[in-house]
Amino acid sequence: MAILLSLNLSDMLVVALVYGKLMDFNYFRFFVPAVVIMGLFVASLDTGRRIWLAIREGMIHYYLSLPISTEGIVAAYLLAGGLAAMVYSSSLLLIALVVLPAHAVWSTFVLLPFLFVLATGLAGIAATLAALASTHGEFFFAYQQIVQVVLLTLSTVFYPIDVVRLYLPPFLVKIVSLNPLSLAAEAMRQYTFAGAPVEPWSLIMLLLTSIPLAIIGALAYLTALHSIQVKGKL
Amino acid sequence: MRNVIRLVWFDLKQELRPPIWIIMEWVTFTIQLGIYGALMSQLVTGISNYQQFYAIGFVVMMTFDIGAHTGRHFVEHAHEGRLPYLLSLPISRSKLFLSIALQGGTELALMLSVPLAISLVLIGNLSAISVAAAIATLFCLGFGVAGVMLGLSFIAFKSADLYTAITVGLSSIIVRFSTVLYPFIFLPPNYAVAAFLSPLTYGADLVRFFLGFDPSILLNPTYAAAVLTALAVGTLGLGMFLLQRLVEGVKSA
Repeated sequence: MAILLSLNLSDMLVVALVYGKLMDFNYFRFFVPAVVIMGLFVASLDTGRRIWLAIREGMIHYYLSLPISTEGIVAAYLLAGGLAAMVYSSSLLLIALVVLPAHAVWSTFVLLPFLFVLATGLAGIAATLAALASTHGEFFFAYQQIVQVVLLTLSTVFYPIDVVRLYLPPFLVKIVSLNPLSLAAEAMRQYTFAGAPVEPWSLIMLLLTSIPLAIIGALAYLTALHSIQVKGKL
Repeated sequence: MRNVIRLVWFDLKQELRPPIWIIMEWVTFTIQLGIYGALMSQLVTGISNYQQFYAIGFVVMMTFDIGAHTGRHFVEHAHEGRLPYLLSLPISRSKLFLSIALQGGTELALMLSVPLAISLVLIGNLSAISVAAAIATLFCLGFGVAGVMLGLSFIAFKSADLYTAITVGLSSIIVRFSTVLYPFIFLPPNYAVAAFLSPLTYGADLVRFFLGFDPSILLNPTYAAAVLTALAVGTLGLGMFLLQRLVEGVKSA
């Protein structure tokens, strides 16, 4: 987490500042809120690494021997992943609030539960990758990197939606618009830092795009655990 | 020399069967350049064609990653117990070190082949000499970074976790405090001082110089060439010196 923090802090305090000098608009104000969401995303993906390690090192057999249902183990992993990501991104948010004045800090408290659902959904993606890669463990990090690059690149974390509309084809613009990272980054920018009134529809969209990811992740991990229970391995 | 080549292939074939990491790097580069580079180019007004600038920067970042991977690979070998086996082979320590360096160089060539080709096509209007000079610079930088990581590997013999934390943390700082993503003239004075200490600054600007970028936004190429050469020779030499003394009798973790 300390390494992730140095990465995200350098994005916030170095990359955002320097890019601001290269552009005609205030990129620092645009990018800093998005770094908080980027941190949430990367920390959520760490859930997959923990699942992969547990399968590879055999800890999963210990968890399966505990008096907890398999569904309980799955839920615990996803909720723990979401919570860890929230704790990590909260530290980034505190630093962001120091370097960039926010006009509606109290809106953050409205956003928090929705960001938690997002974090759980992203942890679900990581769990899916860990379950898929489990028979070829070394591929897990390759899958994770591809998913990370695709989700971040096809989002409005780094660039406004107006620029995306000008350059990308319509179907990719739709993907960018519906990407939960885009929705969360825009919510953070508009509601916490710009001080715009919270729009319920955008928060509902965030839930609608995050919950399916959590469900898919839970099902994938549950399938992997059942396979381990029956065959003793994947 | 046959033994050295055999050792190089011994390690390399694991990377090539299947070549998932190589293909992944190519795909990542294509996505980053095709989407991120293109969209950021619409926003950046301080440079005439930011996508080309970013393409070279990304290739330099990949060179750094591969060089760092070569050093970490060696440390992993030590901790997995392969190092005592390699030390027991009937080849000299210097040839063992040469095989590590050659393996890193071959991986670098494989990883960079497609991204560099795409970047060169994107830039266009190049001569064979400028392309050859750019490739030589990238290899010089790669060997220099590998030498730094090998030199730092003595930390890993005390604590592998500390080594991983230091190298990954260092990697993220070195990339951001350099001219990989933005020209030197746009760096604030405090950050510019840190950029002078990053080998990627010299590597990126020298490659861009050879490929015809505007010299007014780049560092002095003579200075950059001198720093890179000193880095490659110095760190590889230091790594070779340290390793021959540190690896004897090393125990697996």
